[in-house]
Amino acid sequence: MKNGGASPLRPPSGALPFRKPFLIFNFEFLILLALALAPLGVSAQTSSPPDMAGVSNGVFHPLFRSQTDLKEVPVKSFYLDVVLVTNEKFLEFVRANPRWQRSQMKRIFADESYLKHWAGDLELGTNARPDQPVVWVSWFAAKAFAQWQGKRLPTLAEWEFAAAASPTLADGTKDAAFQRDILRWYSTPSPGVLPSVGHGPKNFWGVRDLHGSVWEWVSDFNSATVTGDARGDTGLDRQLFCGAGAVGAKDVENFPAFMRYGFRSSLKAAYTVHNLGFRCAKDL
Amino acid sequence: MKLPLLLLALSAATALGATNETAEVLPPCCRPLAAQTNYTDKSLFQLDSVWTSDAGRRVKLGVLRGRPQVVAMFFASCQFTCPLTVSDMQRIEVALPENLRTNTGFLLISFDSERDTPTALKVYRAKRELSNQNWTLLRGEPDNVRELAALIGVIFRKDANGDFAHSNVITVLNAEGEIVYQQPGLNLPPDEIVAKLKSISIP
Repeated sequence: MKNGGASPLRPPSGALPFRKPFLIFNFEFLILLALALAPLGVSAQTSSPPDMAGVSNGVFHPLFRSQTDLKEVPVKSFYLDVVLVTNEKFLEFVRANPRWQRSQMKRIFADESYLKHWAGDLELGTNARPDQPVVWVSWFAAKAFAQWQGKRLPTLAEWEFAAAASPTLADGTKDAAFQRDILRWYSTPSPGVLPSVGHGPKNFWGVRDLHGSVWEWVSDFNSATVTGDARGDTGLDRQLFCGAGAVGAKDVENFPAFMRYGFRSSLKAAYTVHNLGFRCAKDL
Repeated sequence: MKLPLLLLALSAATALGATNETAEVLPPCCRPLAAQTNYTDKSLFQLDSVWTSDAGRRVKLGVLRGRPQVVAMFFASCQFTCPLTVSDMQRIEVALPENLRTNTGFLLISFDSERDTPTALKVYRAKRELSNQNWTLLRGEPDNVRELAALIGVIFRKDANGDFAHSNVITVLNAEGEIVYQQPGLNLPPDEIVAKLKSISIP
C-alpha cells in the first residue's frame, strides 16, 4: 500500500458461472462494473497523499469536559498517515535539518534523552531498526518533522476520532472484540523491541497501529486536564485551572481513553519517552 | 501579432517564478542553525514565531532580550481569573524597588487569536492602566500560542463559548529569556517573585 490509503480496486473475484448464458451475462456485467469503478479507484488513489488515508467528517466526544465545553467536537475530514513515523524517516529529517540532530538539540525543545537509543547523530545502530516507529522524540521535534513534510500533527480530537474506528466500523465502541484487543494492549507492558510500523491491521479508515504500538503526540496534548474525580483534584490544581469544574467523565467504561488522558496530562512538550512516537496529519 | 502573446507568456512565466520563490521560504523548523545560535540553550527568545503587539508591531520574542520579564498568558474578555493574574503582576510591579521596576518587563500573551486583535489589546492596556514603559501585550496565531504555552507549561483549551479554560501561572524569565521561576495560582503576595527578580538582577 505504497500509494495511498484507499484500497486498491480489488479484481473481481471469479464469479463461477454454471451455464453459458450466465457466463456471458456475468462477463459483461463485470466489465461494466470494472469500467464504472475504475475512475473511482483512480481518483481515490490520486487524491489521498502517498501513505496517508482519508478520515471523513465526524464527531469526537470528549472524555472529560466542563460545563462550558462542547459535548460533541466536530471533526472535519482530514488525512492521517497510515503508519507511524519510522526511525528511517526521522533520520532523513535530521540529516536535512542539523538543528534537530541529537548533539545540536537545544534543551528547551527536547530533554536529555532525545533519540537516546540511536547510535549517533546520523546513525541508528542496533537499538533502532529503520522500520520501527521513532520514539524518544519531543513534541517540538515531532511538530518540526511534520512541518518539514508539509504536514502537521493531528489534533487530539482528530486522533481520538480516527482511533475510535475498529477494523470494520467507524465507531469501534460497538465492536466488542476490538475493545478487548485494545484493553489487552493497555494491560501489557511495552515490549523490549518495538514491532515494525504497519504490523497491525488496518482500521475502518485504512490507518494502522493507532493501538498496539506506541503512544502518539497530538498537536494540542496540553489541552488535556484531569480534574474532579481523578488525581488532579488537589488544592493546587483547583487554583491552577480556570473554567468551571468538570462535569465528569462521559464514558466511565472507556478505560483506554482514561489512560490516554492521564498520560497526556503528564506530558511536557520537551519530554521524550521510550514508547511515545507520532504520525502526521494534513488538511484535505 | 505574436509578440503580445510572447510577452504574455513571459510575464506569466515570471509570475510563476515569483510564486515559486515565495514558496521556497523555509518554515521555521528548517532554517539554518546559524540564525539561532545567539541565544542560550534554554532561552525562549530563540522562538521563530512572530507576534503582533497592541501597537500593531510584528515582533519576535527576542526583542525582549536584555531585561527580566514577568510573563502570563491571558485573554482580554476573561471574566474570572485573568484579571486576578494581571492584578498579581501589577502588585509585583509596585512592590519592586524603583531601580528594578524600570529594569523589568511585564509580558501578557493572549490565548484568543480571534478576538484579541491589536485594537482589543490596546483597549485592555488602557482599561488596566498598563504602562508603555514596562508592559508588552502580544497576540499570535493559534499554532504559535499552543507552542508558547507548551514551553511555559500552560494548559488550555477553548470552550464552546469561545472562552478559554487555562492554568494560571506567572513565569519569570531572566534577561536571556530562560525560565528561572514559576508561580502557579492566583491572588498570591508578590514577595517571592520580587525576591527572585532581585536575585537575578545585577546591581
